[in-house]
Amino acid sequence: MTGTQTRTHCPYCSLQCGMTLQPGRAEGRATLEVLPWEDFPVNEGGLCRKGWTSAGLRGSRERLTSPLVRDRETGALTAVTWEEALDHVADRLRTIQDEHGKDAVAVFGGGGLTNEKAYQLGKFARVALGTSQIDYNGRWCMSSAASAGTRTFGVDRGLPFPLSDVAQAEVVVLVGSNMAETMPPAARYLDRCRENGGKVVVIDPRVTATAERADVVVQPVPGTDLALALGLLHLVIAGGHVDTAYVEARTNGFAAVADSVAAWWPERVERVTGVAAEELRALADLLVSHRKVMVLTARGAEQHATGSDTVLAWIDLALALGLPGREHAGYGCLTGQGNGQGGREHGQKNDQLPGYRMLVDPAARAHVAGVWGVDPDSLPGPGRSAYELLDALGTDDGPKALLVHGSNIVVSAPNATHVEQRLASLDLLVVCDIVMSETAAMADVVLPVTQWAEETGTMTNLEGRVILRRQAVAPPRGVHSDLDVVAGLAERLKAPIAFSTDPEEVFEELGRASAGGKADYAGITYERIEAEKGVFWPCPDATHPGTPRMFTEAFAHPDGRAKMHVVEHRGTAEPIDEAFPLHLTTGRVLAQYQSGAQTRRIRELPDTGAFVEMHPLLARRLGTADGEQVTVSTRRGSVQAPARVVTTIRPDTVFVPFHWLGVNRLTNDALDPASRMPEFKVCAASVEVS
Amino acid sequence: MNTQPAPTAPGAPVSAARQHQPGAREDGRERLVVVGNGMAATRLVEQLVAQGYPGHVTVLGDEQVPSYNRILLSAVLEGTHDREAITLRSEDWFAEHGVDLRLGSRVLTVDRDYGDVMLVDGTTIGFDKLVLATGSIPTLPPMRGLVRHDGSLHPRVHAFRSVADCEGLEAAVGAHPKARVVVVGGGLLGLQVARALSLRGLTVEVVEAADHLLSRQVSESGAKVLRRSLERLGTTVYTGARVTRLVEPPSGPVADGDGPVGLQLDNGFVLETDLVVLTSGGRPSTALARGAGLEVRRGIVVDDTLASVTDPRIHAIGDCAQHGGVVHGFVAPAWEQAGILARRLCGEDVRHEGSRVVARLRATGLDVAVLGDPVNAEGEDVEVSNPITGKHSHLVVRDGRIVAASLVGDLSRVGLITQYYDHGTELGMLEPGDLLLPDVVPTPTVLPDEAEVCACAGVTAGAIRACSSLEEVRTTTRATTGCGGCAGACKDLLAERLGASSQPQPVS
Repeated sequence: MTGTQTRTHCPYCSLQCGMTLQPGRAEGRATLEVLPWEDFPVNEGGLCRKGWTSAGLRGSRERLTSPLVRDRETGALTAVTWEEALDHVADRLRTIQDEHGKDAVAVFGGGGLTNEKAYQLGKFARVALGTSQIDYNGRWCMSSAASAGTRTFGVDRGLPFPLSDVAQAEVVVLVGSNMAETMPPAARYLDRCRENGGKVVVIDPRVTATAERADVVVQPVPGTDLALALGLLHLVIAGGHVDTAYVEARTNGFAAVADSVAAWWPERVERVTGVAAEELRALADLLVSHRKVMVLTARGAEQHATGSDTVLAWIDLALALGLPGREHAGYGCLTGQGNGQGGREHGQKNDQLPGYRMLVDPAARAHVAGVWGVDPDSLPGPGRSAYELLDALGTDDGPKALLVHGSNIVVSAPNATHVEQRLASLDLLVVCDIVMSETAAMADVVLPVTQWAEETGTMTNLEGRVILRRQAVAPPRGVHSDLDVVAGLAERLKAPIAFSTDPEEVFEELGRASAGGKADYAGITYERIEAEKGVFWPCPDATHPGTPRMFTEAFAHPDGRAKMHVVEHRGTAEPIDEAFPLHLTTGRVLAQYQSGAQTRRIRELPDTGAFVEMHPLLARRLGTADGEQVTVSTRRGSVQAPARVVTTIRPDTVFVPFHWLGVNRLTNDALDPASRMPEFKVCAASVEVS
Repeated sequence: MNTQPAPTAPGAPVSAARQHQPGAREDGRERLVVVGNGMAATRLVEQLVAQGYPGHVTVLGDEQVPSYNRILLSAVLEGTHDREAITLRSEDWFAEHGVDLRLGSRVLTVDRDYGDVMLVDGTTIGFDKLVLATGSIPTLPPMRGLVRHDGSLHPRVHAFRSVADCEGLEAAVGAHPKARVVVVGGGLLGLQVARALSLRGLTVEVVEAADHLLSRQVSESGAKVLRRSLERLGTTVYTGARVTRLVEPPSGPVADGDGPVGLQLDNGFVLETDLVVLTSGGRPSTALARGAGLEVRRGIVVDDTLASVTDPRIHAIGDCAQHGGVVHGFVAPAWEQAGILARRLCGEDVRHEGSRVVARLRATGLDVAVLGDPVNAEGEDVEVSNPITGKHSHLVVRDGRIVAASLVGDLSRVGLITQYYDHGTELGMLEPGDLLLPDVVPTPTVLPDEAEVCACAGVTAGAIRACSSLEEVRTTTRATTGCGGCAGACKDLLAERLGASSQPQPVS
């Protein structure tokens, strides 16, 4: 017996692969089968093993199905009704705000939440709670690229063109992206690019699965991608290959940038980056000898205390070559989380309102307050960014209560031991999740919420394409949507306005709130998304076709020009030294997703645990071998894991995947001054035989 | 009696009454005067701007052009770099940041009692702090006929230090595109210029007084490898040979543009040539400091605060400075000094502890890297030399650390070795040797059945071997349906299965 097939999208990464869900029954149990959706353009029926097995949490005994409240005396969690749980939470929130002020309650969102949830969460914080303290884990995803894109182009959309353009490019440069493992179906476009005669360049300290299918692999010292970009721009200018007509017509600031990179000759770049001058020259030659060049950055370039400057440097290079706006060329960011794009547009960021409007802009406040039906002056100002928010929890002037939606902070925050201490010092921690994640396990109140197949909502993928996930199955009994949580709490907190729990209604309101903003969704409806297989924003009205390709005529600054920025290599926040002589970098493996709260619980996905990837030269120095236990230590903590000895990593660098508890106890919480991105991707470490 | 001041010839010194001139501000801000507008000076000013130095900065450069990247002059000569691309900071940049830049301003004297400097045109500029970043000046080899009676170089002879020198040589090459040229000096600069001219189509010979090339940087065996490579590229090399005189042709002294000259070597040879380029080193430019009574040995002697040991108001950085007994001739130490000095001038108590130097030959077709001083450094020498392949690698290792190195012909590991050298990384006992040996290429083996072929779907080689077609692979295992990267491997496995035997493989 089978139910109706539902076209929807994968619950994991920003590719948001189309998939078909087929409910059924087998051996007396409800089943949910994942089938291809061949017609969806981004993945054309392909999925990685995470997608194929994504239904594995359906019916899992690990699913939370009842609200739980902890007795602080005994530590025991007790199942309660939803009414009791929400009454209790609302009560505690009110008491804490009465005693310590509105900002004593904070909200932490996620880049995996639907647009509707992200929107409601921002509105809930600012209207129902009246707090400025809201931010989300997307801050740790692509915020450096977002900051750089906004400053350069005047707008931040990860890819300003459809992903399929990659196949038509002549040269694709991936800076710190391992897309073959982190978003496997996207890598098909690399293969197509090569089949069409194009060249793929991968820049990564490791020869990853992505690098294995590249024509050129460059392995810089972690944290030196910025210097590499400056060195390439130096060579472009030195060789007279700047697209001067483009630079004059479409950009500002080139002259100062050009002078600033005169100091980055190849041999100096070699000394800083560890990339031989000849390799740099060869790469520059490749870039200048083709017209359709595409530069794509990802977390490897962005998750640094200099992440936004690093992206600015790569964009400067792209602008000097005249790429952005050129057909099948340009610059783009490969966003990471499922709704990393939409999640940053609709108000769960500390400084933003829906439509990518800025919270400090009086016109933006007036517009959004008008849609919400509240007084603009009642909206709080910008609050703390994600890490700064967590760092302040439980301190004298910091929040005393935290509501967490769609984030497993204990595993995913940098310097995690410290963050765990901050969470533990709260008067109230409320976590909404589908399973008992490491963060939920610390909570005073755990609220069981729906997962992707059990709810309807829109996501915006890495291309800026707004897509629709349709509910395929009913949620388990006792499980509610985050929209219900928000509405239930808002009502109990006597919010001045009502919060809808109907996703389509929320989306229509979101459309009105975003109208006229940079990320304008006003013309997008559920019907259009289904009919058109996604709609690219900006789409200001019902007759507008959406915008698959941006910047073809102008950039989004008032003068229509892109702004180039002088940036300088500053090095890593924590240089290696005698005690911590190795670079530690972190990243993902194919079979796991982010904090692993979902994927580690899916039986079909191999859960290897963390490992320490190192070069044979280093293994021999340390006296260890493949499979032997080693201890990686930084100034913040230690982790034990088996060594994985491979020739594909730089010998001065070790790599540990971060999906498991403890790995982020090692990472550095130094922040980028512009994006407030922590330096996940490099810190100083030592490794010893355990 | 004429009350008008007597007209002064441009550039002639005047003994006018000392007055406060522009730059001597009465607003209470510190007056910092930087003598020199080369790479060290520019770096210093950049860092001062970046750190918000509150004082008033005046930069006095004797060249007429904005600051440029001097070490890329040979690349301009070779044609790989546009002349404009080596400008470090334009005049506009200085103006935007409130820095008083004066090009073509040669400083004649520093008066420590008055606390000012005087330019050749008689202008005096008062300072509270003074930075000497005067760089170095080319050394002229002792060679008869080199300098003419009016003090200028013989028209066929070019130095190679400034952009003006570079332009002069450019013009000469333009006029004699097929010329023969002798490069005097087989050091880093000499080889760069030799390669650049060679690539421009000139016939090039190199004369080096020491018994091997790069005698200050590489060992004799390394130099042999280098010499072979250079000669293979068509450049003739004479080592252990000094040029003693420039011989005019029998027809009489040459004017610009006609006839060759001869270079007489101390071994009796005479090299007939159209052009001569002098690259035989430089010496710190210390005349100003000497004149001001500052302690000068080879360079201007400075302490860890980069201040003159004679006068704490006066600093010296770059090629003109001598710190810890060392005078560098490289950019990296000069920039480190500029960075430290900028922080000190902004009130930080940081000190200069000396620099690690990495010298790289920038010459197409010749790969040389020199880390530290491998000729004199103490330690164990780990060397791999293969003149047949043109490769020579030499590490000097002390207490498990690379303290110096030279790499000739093989720079495949230069990035990593430089990182270890710069960070003083302690290596394993066998690691220096391992570093110099090529990576062992793993021999391809038959994939075991349990090896994962498709990472996207988690499919093993055995599971692929159990299929009879690519379509079956797709539908039963889902291999190839993710990123598609395993399609080739799956085809190979199927082909191997079909080719190997008619026996069906065991299904795993």
